Amino acid sequence: MRILKGYGKPKQKKAVAAPGQKLDAYENKPVSTRLDDTVDFIEMLFGGNSDLIIRHFRVFGEHPAVLAYFSNMADQITINVDILKPLMYKPSHLEGKPAEPPQLMEVLLNDALYNSEAVRETELAKLANGILRGGTVVAIEGSGEVLVIGTRKIEKRAIDQPATEQVIRGPREGLIEQLGTNIALIRYRLQSADLRIHSMEIGRRTNSKVAICFMEGITNPELVEEVKKRLSKIDIDAVMDSGYLEQFIEDNHISPFPQVQYTERPDKIVANLLEGRVAILVDGSPLALVVPTVFSQFYQTVEDYTERFLLMSAIRLARLIALVFSLVFPSIYVSIISFNPELIPTEFAVAVAGGRAGVPFPAVIEVLIIETSMEVLREATIRLPQQVGGALSIVGVLVVGQAAVAAGFASPITVVIIALTTIGSFATPAYNAALALRLLRFPLIVMAGVFGLYGVMIGLILIANHLLSLKSFGVPYLSPLVPGNFQGMKDLIVRGPLSWMTRRPSFLGPVDDRKLGEQTEKTLEGNLMDTAQENGKEG
Amino acid sequence: MEEKRQITAIQTAAIIVSTIIGVGVLPLPLFAVRAGDSAAPLVTLLGMLLAICGLALIAWLGMRFPNQSIIQYSEAIIGKIPAWLGSLLIIVFFAVLTSLAAREFGEVVVTSVLKRTPVEVTVIVMLLLAAISTRKNITTFAYLHHFYFPLLLFPGILIVFLSLKNADVINLQPAFTTGSPGIWAGVLTIAALFQGSFILTMVIPAMRRPERAMIASMGGLALAGGLYVAIVAAAVSVFGAEEIKKLLWPTLELAKATSLPANVLERLDAAFLAVWVTAVFTTLLSSHFLTVRATAHLFRMDDHKLFSFFLLPVVFVMAMLPQNIVQMYDIIEIVGRFGLSITILYPGLLLLISIFRKKRGDVS
Repeated sequence: MRILKGYGKPKQKKAVAAPGQKLDAYENKPVSTRLDDTVDFIEMLFGGNSDLIIRHFRVFGEHPAVLAYFSNMADQITINVDILKPLMYKPSHLEGKPAEPPQLMEVLLNDALYNSEAVRETELAKLANGILRGGTVVAIEGSGEVLVIGTRKIEKRAIDQPATEQVIRGPREGLIEQLGTNIALIRYRLQSADLRIHSMEIGRRTNSKVAICFMEGITNPELVEEVKKRLSKIDIDAVMDSGYLEQFIEDNHISPFPQVQYTERPDKIVANLLEGRVAILVDGSPLALVVPTVFSQFYQTVEDYTERFLLMSAIRLARLIALVFSLVFPSIYVSIISFNPELIPTEFAVAVAGGRAGVPFPAVIEVLIIETSMEVLREATIRLPQQVGGALSIVGVLVVGQAAVAAGFASPITVVIIALTTIGSFATPAYNAALALRLLRFPLIVMAGVFGLYGVMIGLILIANHLLSLKSFGVPYLSPLVPGNFQGMKDLIVRGPLSWMTRRPSFLGPVDDRKLGEQTEKTLEGNLMDTAQENGKEG
Repeated sequence: MEEKRQITAIQTAAIIVSTIIGVGVLPLPLFAVRAGDSAAPLVTLLGMLLAICGLALIAWLGMRFPNQSIIQYSEAIIGKIPAWLGSLLIIVFFAVLTSLAAREFGEVVVTSVLKRTPVEVTVIVMLLLAAISTRKNITTFAYLHHFYFPLLLFPGILIVFLSLKNADVINLQPAFTTGSPGIWAGVLTIAALFQGSFILTMVIPAMRRPERAMIASMGGLALAGGLYVAIVAAAVSVFGAEEIKKLLWPTLELAKATSLPANVLERLDAAFLAVWVTAVFTTLLSSHFLTVRATAHLFRMDDHKLFSFFLLPVVFVMAMLPQNIVQMYDIIEIVGRFGLSITILYPGLLLLISIFRKKRGDVS
């Protein structure tokens, strides 16, 4: 590991401004009092763009002024009605008051403009940034200031059902690409004065807005600092999605296991914030990141908590079994068939041997071939248009599978095993965790082919050791199993009743760890006792 | 980097248990029966009591010097040169112990499952597995043991329970023996199987509350010892003393003789052996970790990672020295009994001198 680190370290280079960043030259330069200079500056910067609008007009019919914006990013109606109109007509309450350029800006801002997002700026760079963000800039002859007015309006899609995290019982809203809408979705679920949303800009060229959400008084302040520290270290030209950030802030870059959870459900984000985690949202990405992440989160769903505990505990167990299946099933099959057929009941062993009679390859090669073709098939199904995808999966699975068996290319048992494994990996709610297990399945199969059950165990020990040494933002990856925490274990394999889970997960080090009010806790305990007593009487 | 003291008492107990339970369980009933025939469970119990005394000494010493390992505080107690010699003995002994455990399990695997694989391969695979994992810090080391501890306790208990079906109490009688001379050698051999618990001396400096080391180690040893006695009792009651003398690994035969209800798995030995890989791994992990960390402490280095692969070739060569299984078990018995002087007598001596000279570590 250390050797690799040495290689990865880039040589210290001088910080060179990225080429073509015209704006950098105007850092801290003031706005000129001459209108022509300002117009020249805007035209020099954005002049080549056909969507730039520079509109000359006269404020109150006397002072020459200019208004500039990108036509497709700004709201035309707002500009016409709330900016241009009040600027052209002198309102009656201003009649007779002096309104000359030095004070004009102040008068306009305080008495004329119908817009709450207007600010006065004196720097050229801020002016340019305002236009880039979809704002409108008003410059007036003789004033060393400009008005930057927020008029951004960008087409967005409707709030939809979350595509990858569907539930039967629970909210149906998913995040969309616009950061503002996403924050609103979170805020209306968490109407608390403690919700903090800090924002920063990442991406040298994209200047993407990144929001860091946490709960003051719950989230461990050190964690928030660590998140901010890791985010502020990122220097990249473009952040297209939150996935870019994930790859910079995770603890271990070469681990197959995801150490950051992503979600498109605002209710899940809120639940995580309330547990003491930090959420990171990026403008333009419908997926929020949640840190720190522990392994148990990957087989939990929102639904576990909205439905009653007994039913969901059983379903969670099924999910856990599917998760283990998707990792070890093929390798155990290979090792039993090739090394220890005496383990399985004799009748079954005979049936397996009969099925494999015509197959020319050893079990490990057979499983690897079928497994690989399954991966290809799955990838093809994702890429194909939906109308064809369904047909392909039927052709692929049924026809090819059947034909492969009939042709003596694979044994029926192998097909069954691989099918079960594949279905098992789909039952894991977190796609990235399922992907990790899918990937690790292959080395395990090879180990099984070489060393049998012994090899599978060696492989599993290696994976377990890796998991045990992994950390996400300082939190051990297998918490609350190891290091053990009794409170956390109530929500580990089964989902305990909400009345049991009185505390927030201690491994996140929350400031306030009480979830359930003492009164409620007592009442619930009382109820349980009463029921127990009644049951006792009846018995 | 200063490692924080994070290890809890439960983790300490788990470390002790999973370190002790290892490949030694496989021939354990044979050792016990050779020494005491049908009194084998009693012999095991006596061995366990001896081991408890030894571990108590280490825990006591560790609690007197809660911030140091035996390598470090021995210098304060008996001076640099003698301590250096003692520490060197400890390092060599545990390197030998690691190599013998790896070789023993390698032989088991080659004999019973992978019949066409050279023993060198299985040995080097196990050693590599242990060496890779010793590169982690001591907190992760505790996590590893904590994680595997239920996984290796469970099959052991399962085998004992499943074998009750074929058990016959008559085989266990007479339960007391009239003191044949071999019995004490047997007690020593079995006490030697508990020597991995010496790892406690490396764990105490990282314990959150070192004052709980005694209770944790006693609990851990009692649990492991209880399983030992149960396995010996089960093996003797199923096979009888005379039959066991003809078996090389009676515990493995016990697994062979039992089967799961409803015939889910027709034979358990291969599955048992597969699960037992984890038990052997934790034992190897502990003894190699002890070797490596002791070496690091001896040379006053904070980072032990360097040695985990550096010492590996030496350990491997030592593992390959015995010519065959018979010679290997002779060596194991001799080395084990000799080792008792390092893991029990040496700490006892240190404790006496430290009490005599009123030496104590700073409790902070």
